[in-house]
Amino acid sequence: MLWIKNVTVIDPAQDLSGLRDVLVQEGKISAIGENFQVRDVQTILGIEQIEKVKQIEGTGKYLFPGLIDVHVHLREPGQENKEDIRSGSRAAVRGGFTSILAMANTAPVIDQRALAEFVRLQGQRAGMARVYPVAAVTKGFKGQELVEMMDIRAGGAVGFSDDGKGIQNAEMMRLALEYAKMTGCPIISHCEDSDLAGSGSMRRGEVSARLGLRGIPASAESVMVARDVLLAGETGGKIHIAHVSTKQSVEIIRTAKAMGIDVTCEVNPHHLLFTDQDVTLTGTSLKVNPPLPSEEDQDALLQGLADGTIDMLATDHAPHTWEEKAKPFAEAPFGINALETVLAAVWQNLATGGKLTSEQVVKLWSVNPARRFGLAGGTLQTGAAADMVLFDSEYRETVTADSLESKAQNTPFLGKELKGFPIMTWVGGRLVMENRKIIPQK
Amino acid sequence: MKWKHKDLLDLENLTAEEIKHILQTAIPMKEILRRPIKKLPTLRGKSVVLLFYEPSTRTRTSFESAAKILGADTTNFSVVQSSVNKGESLLDTAKTLQAMNVDLVIVRHSSSGSAEFLADVLNAGVINGGDGQHAHPTQALLDYFTIQDRLGSFEGKKIVIVGDILHSRVARSNVLGLKKLGAEVALVGPPTLLPPEMSYLGVKTSHDLDRELPGADVVMALRLQLERQQSGLFPSIREYSKLYGLNQERIQRTEKDTIVMHPGPMNRGVEIASDLADSVQSVIEEQVTNGVAVRMALIYLLIGGGVAHVVD
Amino acid sequence: MEGTPKNRIMDEDGIRRAISRISHEIVEKNKGTENLVLVGIRTRGVPLAERIQKRIAEFENVLLPIGLLDITLYRDDLSTIDVQPVIHETKVSFSLEGKTVILVDDVLFTGRTARAALDALIDLGRPQKIQLAVLIDRGHRELPIRADYVGKNVPTSRREIISVCLEETDRNEEVLLLEKTTS
Repeated sequence: MLWIKNVTVIDPAQDLSGLRDVLVQEGKISAIGENFQVRDVQTILGIEQIEKVKQIEGTGKYLFPGLIDVHVHLREPGQENKEDIRSGSRAAVRGGFTSILAMANTAPVIDQRALAEFVRLQGQRAGMARVYPVAAVTKGFKGQELVEMMDIRAGGAVGFSDDGKGIQNAEMMRLALEYAKMTGCPIISHCEDSDLAGSGSMRRGEVSARLGLRGIPASAESVMVARDVLLAGETGGKIHIAHVSTKQSVEIIRTAKAMGIDVTCEVNPHHLLFTDQDVTLTGTSLKVNPPLPSEEDQDALLQGLADGTIDMLATDHAPHTWEEKAKPFAEAPFGINALETVLAAVWQNLATGGKLTSEQVVKLWSVNPARRFGLAGGTLQTGAAADMVLFDSEYRETVTADSLESKAQNTPFLGKELKGFPIMTWVGGRLVMENRKIIPQK
Repeated sequence: MKWKHKDLLDLENLTAEEIKHILQTAIPMKEILRRPIKKLPTLRGKSVVLLFYEPSTRTRTSFESAAKILGADTTNFSVVQSSVNKGESLLDTAKTLQAMNVDLVIVRHSSSGSAEFLADVLNAGVINGGDGQHAHPTQALLDYFTIQDRLGSFEGKKIVIVGDILHSRVARSNVLGLKKLGAEVALVGPPTLLPPEMSYLGVKTSHDLDRELPGADVVMALRLQLERQQSGLFPSIREYSKLYGLNQERIQRTEKDTIVMHPGPMNRGVEIASDLADSVQSVIEEQVTNGVAVRMALIYLLIGGGVAHVVD
Repeated sequence: MEGTPKNRIMDEDGIRRAISRISHEIVEKNKGTENLVLVGIRTRGVPLAERIQKRIAEFENVLLPIGLLDITLYRDDLSTIDVQPVIHETKVSFSLEGKTVILVDDVLFTGRTARAALDALIDLGRPQKIQLAVLIDRGHRELPIRADYVGKNVPTSRREIISVCLEETDRNEEVLLLEKTTS
């Protein structure tokens, strides 16, 4: 039993922002109210001895519903040298995430029920964040045959995606959208035309020209976004566009929503925090796919967040070993390690900077993802699972290789100090992180 | 002036004064090349490693001669005979070189930034012998030396560079320095090989060679990678040659004693006609000689100097 | 190197007389001017060689060929000095084969410059003989090298500096003895 006192609760699902006391019992929120007295708590929780209730002073802190990240790469099975489900889900709770969606581009690809169940089971064994598998759309990511969507959903998958590669064949995508209607799960589309993207390693533009790096034109993403929303419209399917990074993509999605197409989308914080101007030839931690946008694109992304075109934030946490990233830019793999640094980076640069309100951050990273993917959490309403984050906006920490729970260190914030971190995280009422340290589970 | 760089990776961070200092140092070096005995004791006991991941006999030989004339020992670490084929990473190769205590590494690699990558890891000096599409500073410097030798100065001189600008590290490096030296540069090529983003260079771009030629003091043709045609960047060698190939008749349009340059190796009859390449206007062979002199100058500046010369 | 002036060893007339005497000695020792060539070591050996050339021309009516030598690339102390020296061109536009080379420098001190110059000369060809002419010999040799023609022998201590100033390079004519300022 838990009594968090006098904390600023941000819960957009019930339109709540203000000082409250929160009571938790049996893994669920049992009450939220103002200024509870011991007698109130005893009554609500139905107990005599107040000593049985852990009391936490929340003055000056925020309490959010646990954040939900719909786009992480946990690398297990097959690439455990980069990350595994245990390390990734520990990193998640340290970063304030109580639920994460694990992408299917592992080795083997998650294209069968047994594999999806394995991912879910490994998540349960780790006992940290809730780990939901996203299954492949096509067997082996080959873009030729659909996976057994109904069976895999029964095994725990909450979405389908060939993320990391994308589906090049339009007819395949159309069929996937159509068939997936039965599952009720969205198709998560990694929009990238592989011919247009070619062997590029950053956004095509003046910076790529200057650095002599092959460029990926914005159109490599945007044409696929256009294709996919049209196919979703035609089939009546449910689509979620992953990592939107161009102005044109935002405009297309805005139009598609106005047309009534069942489309949602996410943006990666690194696309809001960095632009192609930040790319250097040896700065491989900023080599990401889709590549860092132009300033104009970045403005459009922020605009898309402001007007609701973009539904959620998602990290695209993509750990790689140090050796893999210690290469010339063009040879290094795409991906950024994000789970443990991203909330601080967003808070410090966007929330403090006035580009996002704290309510928006919670809505984009908790409420909306929960709703779109039908997950537990996303709110602190009475009766909801007590997935919660106690956030200290003044907490400072220098990001070091030793401090990270993730196995990888491919973050541009390595060695830098950030401000604004979660200091306690609960999953289903269980305390899993306190004072930036993981609490071992029995 | 005091030389303060450990490496030469790019011309971006050199001042006009530093570029001129390199060119000035290359003048006495060129004199040495004319001697019957081309051997100096200057860098005796210094070791220079030529780390070539791309086959380039010309550049490698030029660097090797330069280092040897100055008395250094050279070691070839080229892709065919090394562990590179077995998948050793550039990082591990760098660590190996570090352990061998070499003084200077000259690297040619197909990835942009590979020279900078090595320079970050190594205590030894690094000269970029060409990295991806990014930079080829020694080629640019030898081109400047040749231009200076022929034209005396750069101020107000019109230099036309024609060809596959997009994929050319030679063009990129050349433009950076030529701007610093006060020359007027025009880049010419078809839109697919000279796309809008090349505007970052801040010089004139054009798709019409004949319009840019009048008044040109220097015309530099770039080597055309013939396989670009197969990837659809231009319709045919024939049409490319018709629009952008240099020949005796076309060069008349400059109405000047224009000098014609090419970094080599040439595709004769494609970007440059044979008769022009072998004409008095052509300085292509001089470029090769000057290449050795300029590289000697650089090697001397980087590792021939005093104890306190590494300050950057 | 900075120093405080202690003594003026030569003035304009002194330098002129020394050059004149060296010029005569060269012709006398070599029994004429046949096969003689002059090579000045940069920087101040060059104007001194030019003056010798001019002086000999005055009394022998022969203009000896003259070359200039930059010995930087032959120095044995490149890796220990602080500031990297600028390299200048070596200009010897005649064959040295069978010639008697008069190597000209301003000051003979440790002998290391002369050693470097000998190496540089030999790389340019195979002269019959090489002789050394210097304006000042200040002693403290570190190598078995001696001058054939000396303008003036000046006993010095190692703490002292000889500063040769010539019109062509320094806009005045004098030789000074300086005391090294210890900083």
